[in-house]
Amino acid sequence: MADFDPEKFEDKYANYFPELQQAYKNAFNRMNDRYDSQLVHAIDQQVLNESEPFYDGDGEFRVELPDEPYDRLSGVLVDEERFEEVLEIHVEEIETELRRVFGFA
Amino acid sequence: MSTETQNDGDDLEERVTNFLRRNFPQIQMHGGSAAIQDIDRETGEVSIALGGACSGCGISPMTIQAIKSRMVKEIPEIETVNASTGMDGGGDTGGMSPSFPGETVDDGEADEGPEAPF
Repeated sequence: MADFDPEKFEDKYANYFPELQQAYKNAFNRMNDRYDSQLVHAIDQQVLNESEPFYDGDGEFRVELPDEPYDRLSGVLVDEERFEEVLEIHVEEIETELRRVFGFA
Repeated sequence: MSTETQNDGDDLEERVTNFLRRNFPQIQMHGGSAAIQDIDRETGEVSIALGGACSGCGISPMTIQAIKSRMVKEIPEIETVNASTGMDGGGDTGGMSPSFPGETVDDGEADEGPEAPF
């Protein structure tokens, strides 16, 4: 369990890199079990590769996404509504995993 | 009498490689690889392709973001990092970096990285 320090999270990629990877990986695995694997892989590789997690205080994390995530998608046929729905769930999973990894859940 | 030394670019490439090796050994530990596709010393732009098990294993998004965030801090000559995986759709991935006038993004990816779902 990581001993979480909000100030250290400012430089998260240097101080908390393994924990961030673990949270994203756990969320990915759960999504991959539950939803269309091709879509989950595409979200992971084409949208989340430009995402950034932030700490909002009180044990809450927020994942910011790049603009127009649906337009970044290629090689997968999915309607926008379905895509938005799965993406939203995936982001919630990451935020939940971040809370868990850093001992807030 | 001029001796042409063309090791500047190589030196930068070596530093980028060493940076990846030193800070991201887990790429190889996960059975993946990080290959430098292109370095433009004029613009300070480097393109890196993550391959192997890093494609689609769920940890590559943070790996990519960490490489982008840390490399520009640790290697002053590097201004822009384009990092992608074999599954990248060819979109512009210069998200965290300032853009330059006349900037060209060389998307020289032709291979599809093998997927290794767990």
